[in-house]
Amino acid sequence: MTRTIWLASYPKSGNTWLRMLIANLASQDAPADINDLPERGGISSARAPFDHLTLIDSSLLTHEEIDCLRPRVYEKLARGAQDDEYDAPEAALPVRFVKVHDAYTLTPKGEPLLAGRGGAEGAIVIVRDPRDVAPSLANHNRTSIDDAITFMNDRNAGFCVKTSRQYNQLRQQLPGWSGHIVSWLDQADIPVHLVRYEDMQADTAGTLKQVLAFAGRSATVEEINRAVKFADFAQLQEQERTKGFREAPRPHAGKKFFRRGEAGAWREELTAEQAARIEAEHAPMMRRLGYELAGAAPLARTG
Amino acid sequence: MHFYTLSGLTVASEIVLPGALACAHPAVADVTVRAGPVPATLAEPTYTGPIWQIAVNEVLLSVPDIARFWLKDGREIAFQADTAADEADVTAFIVGSVFGILLHQRKYIALHASAVCVNGKAILFCGASGAGKSTLAAALGQRGYSLLSDDICALSIPANGAPIAHPDGRQLKLWANSIDRLSLAERRAGRLRRTLEKFYVEPPEATSTPLPVGAVYVLREARPPHAPGIERPNVVDATVLLRRNAYRPLLVIRMEQRADYFRAAAALAGTAGIFHLTHAFNFARMPDTLGMLERHWQELGLLEKAA
Repeated sequence: MTRTIWLASYPKSGNTWLRMLIANLASQDAPADINDLPERGGISSARAPFDHLTLIDSSLLTHEEIDCLRPRVYEKLARGAQDDEYDAPEAALPVRFVKVHDAYTLTPKGEPLLAGRGGAEGAIVIVRDPRDVAPSLANHNRTSIDDAITFMNDRNAGFCVKTSRQYNQLRQQLPGWSGHIVSWLDQADIPVHLVRYEDMQADTAGTLKQVLAFAGRSATVEEINRAVKFADFAQLQEQERTKGFREAPRPHAGKKFFRRGEAGAWREELTAEQAARIEAEHAPMMRRLGYELAGAAPLARTG
Repeated sequence: MHFYTLSGLTVASEIVLPGALACAHPAVADVTVRAGPVPATLAEPTYTGPIWQIAVNEVLLSVPDIARFWLKDGREIAFQADTAADEADVTAFIVGSVFGILLHQRKYIALHASAVCVNGKAILFCGASGAGKSTLAAALGQRGYSLLSDDICALSIPANGAPIAHPDGRQLKLWANSIDRLSLAERRAGRLRRTLEKFYVEPPEATSTPLPVGAVYVLREARPPHAPGIERPNVVDATVLLRRNAYRPLLVIRMEQRADYFRAAAALAGTAGIFHLTHAFNFARMPDTLGMLERHWQELGLLEKAA
């Protein structure tokens, strides 16, 4: 049976890049279309599969009531129910990779939101230096960098949280950058493979190979090298430039999904105060992940 | 008992059903709604979903902390409410998801669609929850197009001629944000549930007679690679689109009704047309969408061309 593996990350940490790399393993002559990926496990928080499989209308439920039912949906999907049976792939994929931004939390009834072992066999947790996440998140959320930092420091934050309107996606709890990562790293339900964005950038093929080994998906050296070439950041940017990206922020002048993608660009994008705010809140997790603190050291530039 | 018309069916209910159109006492009601008891499982299920089971002529739906619903032969809805639930919690599900499932059970072509009336024809807007069906129907209501149905639209397919859409004259269901952005506060009725900022909204005008379908639009958000506009998919794609926009596509499969939806799609494609309506999820762009629709209705001959 197809194995389910979560691709779990805080937003703007390289999740989509890794998905693009995996999707391009099957590409032969040309890069996979970023708007029509052959391997499309979707995102855990998508609303339509919930309604489809439960038969009820999620818009009649509160966020908490939805959370109580989400484990049932993930169990069903992991056991092979397609979220859209009309589009069931002809040949079953060896591994179903599903993007997740939800923190690893418990429902109000005390069970894992993502159904523990019943929902997936493991999780690839992708992390990125929070100082690089902040400017990217500001771009994505259309906020200032200061507001993005406030969001990353807020242990009650989330996506799709309002109760006065309907979103395409279900609520995703994002209890701060550190809180999100610790929820995944310290849960004991499923094995975790940790990937740092910076390592993925420094050695893309090597990182991808380890990811696939963890997930139990075989790939040849040629397939991996081709995927690295086809999902190169500049290549993804070029596709977004010419035809747009369906997962990008809602149409808005100048806002791109594949924005910069560099490691360490925060030195040019953050003020000393902004970097200090991030470090003050997240130092323990940054140290745990090997992100060096700038501390009171002078920064390249301010303003 | 309380009596209503929902999707063209007469309903006799032990409890008040908010949002539904009240009617006179029918000689024989098509559907009855009564309080429990409801079993925890069905005796001989043919399929078990996450919170539901189906058997021959039966569906059991268990919504935790709200109620269990037992649908029999498309004629009877029994409910057993959870002790923590209040009546509105239960009725919101009865007039919504449960009735939609019942329409599948009755072998209607049950679409996840809202519909308005344009010159005596039913115009349907299909899409998943959140696609903008109710909001669009509400905005068209403000332009004088009367409401035919909200969220669920039942079709019957005659031997020849256009498929018929059944009205329910029910109230729209809108989120607080949509009510605010469309300035519909004056028409706002009760909350669907005490815990939700979603309200019943009285349409300015509602149609209570069955109408032939004039066009079916499947709503799609304007995101790359799809720009705002109306296009007509080929007949094969249109067939798939219609099935996917059944109220609950999974029931079409489990109740072995795929062939019925195939025939319905052929009938709709031949008499009315199935279209993709790609629109921005943005209230500021609503006038563009309405203008695009009215121009399309002129092209289709549903509206007279502007002088």
